Amino acid sequence: MIEHDVVCPFCGCLCDDLELVCEGGKIVKVQNGCALAESTFMNDVRLPSPIRRTESGWEDISYTEAIKETAEILQGADRPLLYGWSSTHGEAQSIGVHIAELIGAVIDNTSTVCHGPSILAIQEVGHPGCTLGQVKNRADVIIYWGCNPIEAHPRHMSRYTTYATGFFVPDAQRERTVIVVDTRRTDTAGIADEFVQIEHSGDYAVLSALRAIVRGKASVIPAKVAGVSKEQLIRIAEICKTAKFGAIFFGLGLTMSRGKYKNIRNAIELTDELNRHTKFVISPLRGHGNVYGSNEVFTWMTGYPFAVDFARGIAFYNPGETTAVDILRRGECDAALIVASDPGANFPRAAAAHLAKIPTVVIDPHVNATTALSRIHIPCTAAGIDAAGTAYRMDGVPIRLKKVIDRGYPDDAEILKKIYDRLNGGKEL
Amino acid sequence: MTEIWVKNACVIDPIRGINGEIMDITIRDGRIVESVSDRADVIDAQRCLTLPGGIDSHTHVSGTKVNFGRYMSPEDMRAGRTKRKGKMHVTSGYYVPTTFGNSYRYSAMGYTTLLEGAMAPLEARHTHEEFTATPHQDMLANTLFDGNWAVMDAVREKDIRKTAAVVAWTLKAARGYGIKLTNPGGTEAWGFGEDLTGIHEMVPHFAVTPAEIITTMIRANELLKLPHSVHLHCNNLGKPGNYQTTLETFDIVPDLNPDRQTLYATHVQFHAYGGGTWKNISSKAEEITRSVNSKPQIVMDMGQIMFGRTMTMTADGPMEFNLHCLHHNKWSNHDVELETGSGIIPVTYSKKSAVNCIMWAIGLELALLTKNPYQCLLETDNPNGAPFVKYPEIIGLLMSKRYRDEECATLATGVEQRTSLCALERELDWHDIAVMTRAGQAKALGIINQGKGHLGIGAEADIAIYPIRTDSVDPAREYRKVVEGFQKTRYTIKRGRVVSRDGDIIVDGANATFWVDAKVPEDLRMENDPEFIKRFEQFYTVRMSNYPVQDVYLPRGRRIETEVFT
Amino acid sequence: MKCILNTGRTVPQGTSVEHKGSDNYRSVTSAGFLNPVDMMMLGIEDGDRVRLTTPAGYIVLTARPAEGVARAEIFVAIGPYANHIISSETHGTGMPDFKSQSVEIEPTEEPVKSVGELMEAIGGLRYDRT
Repeated sequence: MIEHDVVCPFCGCLCDDLELVCEGGKIVKVQNGCALAESTFMNDVRLPSPIRRTESGWEDISYTEAIKETAEILQGADRPLLYGWSSTHGEAQSIGVHIAELIGAVIDNTSTVCHGPSILAIQEVGHPGCTLGQVKNRADVIIYWGCNPIEAHPRHMSRYTTYATGFFVPDAQRERTVIVVDTRRTDTAGIADEFVQIEHSGDYAVLSALRAIVRGKASVIPAKVAGVSKEQLIRIAEICKTAKFGAIFFGLGLTMSRGKYKNIRNAIELTDELNRHTKFVISPLRGHGNVYGSNEVFTWMTGYPFAVDFARGIAFYNPGETTAVDILRRGECDAALIVASDPGANFPRAAAAHLAKIPTVVIDPHVNATTALSRIHIPCTAAGIDAAGTAYRMDGVPIRLKKVIDRGYPDDAEILKKIYDRLNGGKEL
Repeated sequence: MTEIWVKNACVIDPIRGINGEIMDITIRDGRIVESVSDRADVIDAQRCLTLPGGIDSHTHVSGTKVNFGRYMSPEDMRAGRTKRKGKMHVTSGYYVPTTFGNSYRYSAMGYTTLLEGAMAPLEARHTHEEFTATPHQDMLANTLFDGNWAVMDAVREKDIRKTAAVVAWTLKAARGYGIKLTNPGGTEAWGFGEDLTGIHEMVPHFAVTPAEIITTMIRANELLKLPHSVHLHCNNLGKPGNYQTTLETFDIVPDLNPDRQTLYATHVQFHAYGGGTWKNISSKAEEITRSVNSKPQIVMDMGQIMFGRTMTMTADGPMEFNLHCLHHNKWSNHDVELETGSGIIPVTYSKKSAVNCIMWAIGLELALLTKNPYQCLLETDNPNGAPFVKYPEIIGLLMSKRYRDEECATLATGVEQRTSLCALERELDWHDIAVMTRAGQAKALGIINQGKGHLGIGAEADIAIYPIRTDSVDPAREYRKVVEGFQKTRYTIKRGRVVSRDGDIIVDGANATFWVDAKVPEDLRMENDPEFIKRFEQFYTVRMSNYPVQDVYLPRGRRIETEVFT
Repeated sequence: MKCILNTGRTVPQGTSVEHKGSDNYRSVTSAGFLNPVDMMMLGIEDGDRVRLTTPAGYIVLTARPAEGVARAEIFVAIGPYANHIISSETHGTGMPDFKSQSVEIEPTEEPVKSVGELMEAIGGLRYDRT
């Protein structure tokens, strides 16, 4: 059986044109997808049943037992942390927020170690963006800054930018100018018309220089800025100003390096400046398939995209204080529920280490590094493979993930709902 | 079976011609019935003002840009926050509250039905997700067509039937309610950073004009027999001198429907400016209302602004950028491929700004100069002019010349000469207010038949009982009591259940979403049109099969089917 | 040698990300990419091991040459190896210095640990029954 127009849940591109060949309840072939999609669908090894860590090792337990104990752990905690959410659907995220509200927990999602700084910048200066189709149909200048789509978003360029045929850009390869800005000469840099190699932590200075040039103040720019020649900067500024439609995509090269959210702010203000000359947009390349959805769901329910602390009864937000890494680093939380993510692998050691000191429950289809740090791991469906639900693409377009096969696992939303009901004294949500 | 017996209600129900009669209302299983049994729960209204549930026919409460307004504004989230309390979830935000915040506060004010003013079809799923989280109001979504490529192609071909077919397909795919045009053509031009300055200017690359889009869409709307009319945000919003564009637009609107208007012009305050610069801007409310008073085919809403901080958000991307260049505050923009645009910026309307004072005056003038209250509905384009929690103050201003005078005395100098507000003696009465906040909306939206906006037998039992005794309050003098009275109902009843008491929500909500399934002849079904499919697959970034909103997003969807045209 | 530790996503990291116990995941996230000139300065060859030290601790990686990596920089795919030595300080932003951690690099004979060993070093217990 062939499933058409399947959505790949892996990265923020949410490509929805995959063809999956299924035989006997198994996916046997993936067409149109990238290597990441292929491994997502084809190489999907699951934890068979809930497990609990004991003095002597791991033991299998029932779902009922696992859910009961999870509820007890959360009920008994003074400062629980609910973290993750980005690789599951909005339906599960929404129940997660309800649990956090009910028990006065901190809830945070993986944007905290991804585009959290971009959100902070947007909260300062806003976000001139668009859906990806605007870029595909109109953009004649594409800038990839501090990101490497060939590795992290392999089909971004063929579906939405460099190689995509657009209404106003019928001959994409010839009509689009691609600029790549990075500290490393990546494979993406290899296909650029202009590669701007900047010194480590030089992004802020280079962005400031470009803003000055666009404002007509090139005379104040020295011969080299963070390793980039003035000539190249002037050339780049000119390409941008004379573009019909320019689009900047940026990645963790800006959010994780020195300056963090101030880098993004500067990039947004450059975009703002360029809009006084032509049309320009800017967008973060979001990583996890539904990380943007976690921001959306958190926002309409609590008012904040991540790092929400319900300890005082109201929704409180203060990144740096209520963000997961900081709470773990300070050893502040006394229980953790990790859903659809792997802080064990992705957080600095000192933060991850605290998870092993407290009762930590993982709800995730796969064994991951956090499994080793947990007390209980409850396997569930994987959104987009054996569970349907809503995901938000990196540009905010909501797409329904499909249930392609049934592997007999419970949906994480269902598990979370049972935990909620127990915490709520048996009352239904 | 649940029954409620509301006794001693002072009812104003304009659609049924009831004006201040003391009567009982009986409810069974969500509807108004002739009588109930003795086992019914009794509510003694104590002769308080009792109206059909409030209806907002143009508000921004759900979807991509509203949520982005929240996302980018932690300062506003802090400005209005409440704890979990009983059935009420935590809420955050003042001018862009969280979904629960919107729902609870509207319910406390007696509102039971809301029309989201702008939904991009590509992002409709998002709007519907937030509708589900806005549990105490029935929801409807205006669907954006202002820059829709397939529509503009059909308009260029002067093909009304094809235009109608595209609308029908898109409304069904988006689970939308009606046609919204925001700066028609202008949002497409904004795709390349341009805008249009008049209704006869060509949309770049598409060879159609806003006037052609508007008139063709009006014809298509009536051909499809949609319950609501075309809902228009005129071109040139917010620009001094724009009243001429507005008048020109009104002049091309035919009178095609005996049951309702043919054009709903929204937030007209923003479209009623004289002058040519911010220095000489003036009110053209008299000209606008003269036109509306002579054209039964037009209904407008006020777009009242109120002083204070708020957030502007609209599909009108170029307008927001212009505003950003004035305010230098944060700016977000979000253009939607093949469909529309949008922009968001925070603003503060200040009494120290003559421009803001004139804007404030214009909204009130529009309401006071429109003879028939069914033609000028009360709203703020929430949150653009002000958050909806300001509605009671607007009611107070419309009902009391004294209140207006007191406010006028605090405004920037020079405002008096550029508006006529201070000279207007008219004070609206309770009946006018009932029309402007529910009956008029129900008629304009075409939902009287759905049992909305009135309390007749068979109607949905959506009822607001306000702590106001119309026989003992003089609104002209005691306007503060009026304002307070409209801020919190004693009871808000939604589909036969008391959902809110004295400002607190007491049950979990179970709203419905109304959408229109417009029927077209077999040969006009876009899902079978090879050219439409080809273009869709080429230029959208989602597959056509993944575009339509699945039924699971409307857990209590109410489909309104129209008759197929020939 | 003083270097800046830069981390990021790669396709091999992405395709093995749901197989954290696999040899493949271990090899792609424990590879440290260095400019060939820096490797020469360190006196190491492709496949030799290097020890990276920061105030947070140390980790052993397999060195790989990459022309695109700037001098005085080492690129490692995101994962538990790089995170073993990255400071958890976020400077009030919630975001650690995943791309700007200073490290000291030296050749070593020590073996590369497994992901399970890294997790056990912080109090975990590996689960390897799948």
